[in-house]
Amino acid sequence: MIEEITMQHVLPRVFLGSEHESPVKDSELWLKPEVVFSRGRYYLIEAESGTGKSSLCSYIYGLRRDYDGYILIDGKDVKYFSIDRWCELRRRGIAYLPQEMRLFPELTVMENIEIKNRLTSYKSEKEIMEFLERLEIAHKADVPAGRLSVGQQQRVAIIRALCQPFDFLLIDEPVSHLDSRNNQIVASLIDEEAKKTGAGIIATSVGNKIQLPEYKLMRL
Amino acid sequence: MSKKSNIVWRLLRRNISVGQIAGYALANLVGLAIVLTAIQFYRDVTSVWDDEDSFISEDYIIISKKVSGLGSLMGGGGNATRFSEEELVDIASRPWARKVGRFNSAAFNVYAKVSFGGSSMGSDLFLESIPDDFFDVSPKGWDYEPGKSEFVPVIISKDYLSLYNFGFATSRGMPQVSEEVIGMVPLQFSLSGNGRQEWVNARIVGFSSRLNTIAVPEEFMDWANKEFSSAAPELPSRLIVMLDKPGDPEVESYLEEHDYETAGDRAANGKAAYFLSLVTSVVIAVGLVISLLAFFILLLSIYLLLQKNSEKINQLMQLGYSPRQVARYYHIIIICVNFAVLLVALAAMLTASHYWREPLSTLGVDPTAPWLTIGIGAGIVLLITAGNLTAVSRAVRKRFYV
Repeated sequence: MIEEITMQHVLPRVFLGSEHESPVKDSELWLKPEVVFSRGRYYLIEAESGTGKSSLCSYIYGLRRDYDGYILIDGKDVKYFSIDRWCELRRRGIAYLPQEMRLFPELTVMENIEIKNRLTSYKSEKEIMEFLERLEIAHKADVPAGRLSVGQQQRVAIIRALCQPFDFLLIDEPVSHLDSRNNQIVASLIDEEAKKTGAGIIATSVGNKIQLPEYKLMRL
Repeated sequence: MSKKSNIVWRLLRRNISVGQIAGYALANLVGLAIVLTAIQFYRDVTSVWDDEDSFISEDYIIISKKVSGLGSLMGGGGNATRFSEEELVDIASRPWARKVGRFNSAAFNVYAKVSFGGSSMGSDLFLESIPDDFFDVSPKGWDYEPGKSEFVPVIISKDYLSLYNFGFATSRGMPQVSEEVIGMVPLQFSLSGNGRQEWVNARIVGFSSRLNTIAVPEEFMDWANKEFSSAAPELPSRLIVMLDKPGDPEVESYLEEHDYETAGDRAANGKAAYFLSLVTSVVIAVGLVISLLAFFILLLSIYLLLQKNSEKINQLMQLGYSPRQVARYYHIIIICVNFAVLLVALAAMLTASHYWREPLSTLGVDPTAPWLTIGIGAGIVLLITAGNLTAVSRAVRKRFYV
């Protein structure tokens, strides 16, 4: 169980040399001595594009290591995590919705979700169908993901991210392509799932913010 | 479960180039088939080395010193053609000489008599003996014990019989005789020397194609030399040497250097064997090179496939799939292809060996069992497979971080 994710003096290497210029200068995260994300709390990181929010998610999720400083999960430096440890975290500890969704276009909606769920066996097929219905894409279950609109793909990717137990949910611009009504539906679904296990949420946004009930707003 | 695992399989098998895999399989098949066929052929043909009286015999040479015209006329007891103790030690110490045997010659007079139907004919004779290990035949009745045995067993050169049958008998209109008939002819040896004389019965019990002599058991020779000669045992003038490796060129140069002569055409057979092993080595090497190239073809093909599927592989690992789980699918392909290649290559080897078995068996050669060759094939494929699997695992792990 992960209680805390801590960032110490973290700076993407691309910003090396421009520490005293924006966006690093005005950031509430980059280069700060200590930023703590706690389990059970929601964080909304607001940023302009090009400030490194997707990089931040990739660092926390162990996809990239091109940063200076330290990211600690429960006090342990993630740079020393083994591949097996990361695999375990990605199945049980941290759920992640990448900004670019990364669905497999040749697989159907259901298969795209199943490919995650078969690893975790976390949701039943019935529960997944309920999610699809709630997000109003149940009729697309057997359609290849590549033929869906971006907004629909976004909702599929959200459901896929929820098909695992997690202590932190990392969602990179989850509602960038959703209208206000769908934003609301997605927000309440995510809130429900997080509340079930007392998980924390780290969401990013460049404009369209996910309508979570309460959150700490941070500026990247 | 199988339906679910098919999702990943369906994702990853995209971009698999059937042509490339088939190309690899064919190349490796050719290489492996060549290697295995060559090994089996070599083993089958050289199995005749285990046969004593065979055309590629485990090589024996008989060496003697050159007889110079004058030396023999001048007398001197033929000491010039005898091997000294130092020379014997030197020959025995050569790496190519596995065993050295001496020809013991009789130091007494031998007169042989054949009698049938009241009439008899006889001739002066010479006898020699060599250690039993050096005979290519081990006929019944070869054991001799002085004073107890009924007759002295004798082995003569096959050439003598041929000389008689095809030279003497045909030109004189005399009957040709078989080995069996000769064996039934009663012989009598008169042994004399040292002031004594004795008649002993003798019988020809075998024919040798290796030894160009009239041979008796060493036990008899030792006994007779003691009884009928007062002289100290003489040094041998002929040696028989069992070679470590047939057709070793070292032997020839050694003999030339010391001015020794070899008897028989054994050396030529040895050269054939040497040539055969050389050719086989070359063929096996070519096969191995082909297999090695095929190994790299498969590796390149899989690297290319991994490259094309790079994005998907990374995506799967982003979802929490371990590199091991992803690599497993490629491992299955490799194992299946390599195993199929092994089976077909073995089938090819066995089919090919079928074609040379018959001609070989008419030469009196029993082909060897193919188990060792099959084992070698399995070993090679195992090595190739292990190499492929490791390379794939490493390539997949490399794609864990973007």
